[in-house]
Amino acid sequence: MAGTVAEIERDLAELRDSSSEPGHPPTLRTSVMTHLAWVPEEWAEAAELTLAGLAERHPSRTILLFPHAGEDAFEADASLQCFPYGDRAVCAEVIRIHLGGERAQHPASVVAPMLVADLPVFCRWRGQPAFDEVFDELVGVVDRLIVDSTEWDPDLGPPYAELAARFERVAVSDIAWERTERWRRMLANAWPFEARSIRVQGTHAQAALLGGWLSSRLGHDVEVEHEQADVLNAVAVDGAPIDAPPGEPPPPSDLLSDQLDQFGRDRIYEDAVRAAAR
Amino acid sequence: MTETVQQREAAPEENPLLEGLLVRRTPDPCVFVIFGASGDLTQRKLMPAIYSLAYRRLLPENFAVLGAARTEESDDDFRTRMERAVREHARDPFRDDVWQPLAEGMRYVALDFADERGEDNVADVLRELDEQRGTEGNRVYYFAVPPSAIATLVQELGKRRTADGWVRLVIEKPFGRDLTSAREINEQVHEHFTEQEIFRIDHYLGKETVQNMLALRFSNGIFEPIWNRQFVDHVQVTVAESIGIENRAGYYEQAGAIRDIFQNHLLQLLALTAMEPPIDFTSEQVRNEKVKVLRSLHTPGPKSVVRGQYGRGFVEGEEVPGYREEPGVAAESMTETYVAAKLYVDNWRWADTPFYVRMGKRLARRETTIAIQFKSAPHPPFEESAVEGLRPNVLVVHVQPDEGVSLSIGAKVPGAGMQIRSVNMDFLYGGAFRTGLPEAYERLILDALLGDQTLFTRTDEVEEQWSLVDAIVAAWQRDRPAFPNYTAGTWGPPSADDLIHRDGRSWRRH
Repeated sequence: MAGTVAEIERDLAELRDSSSEPGHPPTLRTSVMTHLAWVPEEWAEAAELTLAGLAERHPSRTILLFPHAGEDAFEADASLQCFPYGDRAVCAEVIRIHLGGERAQHPASVVAPMLVADLPVFCRWRGQPAFDEVFDELVGVVDRLIVDSTEWDPDLGPPYAELAARFERVAVSDIAWERTERWRRMLANAWPFEARSIRVQGTHAQAALLGGWLSSRLGHDVEVEHEQADVLNAVAVDGAPIDAPPGEPPPPSDLLSDQLDQFGRDRIYEDAVRAAAR
Repeated sequence: MTETVQQREAAPEENPLLEGLLVRRTPDPCVFVIFGASGDLTQRKLMPAIYSLAYRRLLPENFAVLGAARTEESDDDFRTRMERAVREHARDPFRDDVWQPLAEGMRYVALDFADERGEDNVADVLRELDEQRGTEGNRVYYFAVPPSAIATLVQELGKRRTADGWVRLVIEKPFGRDLTSAREINEQVHEHFTEQEIFRIDHYLGKETVQNMLALRFSNGIFEPIWNRQFVDHVQVTVAESIGIENRAGYYEQAGAIRDIFQNHLLQLLALTAMEPPIDFTSEQVRNEKVKVLRSLHTPGPKSVVRGQYGRGFVEGEEVPGYREEPGVAAESMTETYVAAKLYVDNWRWADTPFYVRMGKRLARRETTIAIQFKSAPHPPFEESAVEGLRPNVLVVHVQPDEGVSLSIGAKVPGAGMQIRSVNMDFLYGGAFRTGLPEAYERLILDALLGDQTLFTRTDEVEEQWSLVDAIVAAWQRDRPAFPNYTAGTWGPPSADDLIHRDGRSWRRH
């Protein structure tokens, strides 16, 4: 267990050195991006599961930050996730850092020395951000923030407004928005319609974002009627049901993986969030 | 040219909800007709590629496959054989829910390519498929047949052409056997079909790493300024196979290495390496730039071309027969299985910069690479002994295997004193992008379905390629080399080494 950034770096170097047998080709260390994840305790299990489904497709340096209240703490554990590639192995680095007390209040100073130079930094923020200094500090060192507003409280207006206030500072992806993509395509296929109201059977976030999207695209208010469900099951516009998209919805790791391939701002999403925040 | 063709942002002018949604271009409904459906290519490449496209939902909903070949076979037998081929050769796992809808739209017609009645049967089944599968008269005809069968087929198809739907002809290499025959075929095809309907396939162009040459050159600011005669000492293109002729003596005896590989794959790789940046990645602009390179190629003199034929030897520890001992090959065959050449691209960018190319069968290992060797540093301030192990910088594009790019650079050996040696910086495709690379045929079949000709060879390219080959072959008529002149499992005849050693250079070490 490492207690300083220097010790983490030393551990990683040792892991890399020992990851290939003497006389065999060295393992390949991949450097496509730094993937940060801010993981409060209640999201730890879900984050590890997503990471397991993701690592092979995006073999980059992943830094998992586990904040907790209480005493000052900095405990880090570095590991390699290696995948065979011909006669070599491709290795991604995973650093798990438990931050406690004051240390958890300044995460940027912890991760900044560990970012892979010159490569993009993506931050997956699990749960609802407090939009406080800790959040802004971390957002300040990343190129893209990935949230899932399905994980947020049902009263989405205020947090969407907080998020929208940061659009000029960081590109944002929302996995809740990505989950509506198949339905937005079906809605686009069903257009033209007036769209004075939309009824959504799904999560709060999906209902809010679909309503905000229609409102921002069509330029008028759209009344949102929401029926709670864990997944987006049905959508109706002005009382008329929209055909369900074909196939199964993609798993969470696919959705996150897709977001890690995006670099620019999603203006359509930003407009939808602003409209949903009203 | 790649994903931008298949996925584009929809135009929002008419439908405000489409803005921001990536619209995957789906091909129109159509029937994919394979002439030569009983052959190896269909089983090993075409059908597995079609399955993989279906697996990724890239085929149109209304789609059918019609197999046509000489062998008598029922529709069900054809489906069973194709299922076996998919299970054996597809890169994706077999899934019944993917296969069944595809199999339901599969039909088979036995025909003699020279017999008109067979074509009538094909036309009848196509009409049936249009009605049953809603394929709207759109056809992709894939000619997986010997070149001699193409003319008849094209003529018969042309005669039966209707105004319904669109037609695309996908024609496998070799497109002719010399400039005259290529022109004849072009004329015959153009009698009934326009150039926009003809897709001459060179599967090398469908390889991700070949397309990556364009990405490497034109999306990185650091390479293009030094991609010229001022900084490049020479270029080496290697297309090496460790396999022999694999029971294709009938074809290979006629073609030889020069028609099998040099005329198409090799010259295309060279064109992509030497071409100027196109204005955009539309099919016409990319092909315009490639054809300029082909036109600029200086015809090599006899001393600049070496041919070879393998004799008995060992490949991967196993004894293999010489070419003349292969079944179906004449005992005194003079067919070349190896060609090496020094070529010059006569333009401002490349004047006096040699392109050494070599290709052959039964070489030490399978490898296709494009190596750009840069000029040495003009005045290294180190003692001579310090740089003994230092080689010039070489940028190598690994087309296959180990797809990727490597750059050799000089680095200080750790420790006291100053000792410098060459080390490689590697970018391996599979290391950075952990998605499986699509098979070249998947990409090319999809492009043909979409009507995108960028990765297919245009008439003028083919003709330029044949002009060069004809000139080389004409010179070969004047001598009779002592074949076999290289041992299977080696890197070719000693004369190929002489070709490059004369210039004070050597082939890359493997």
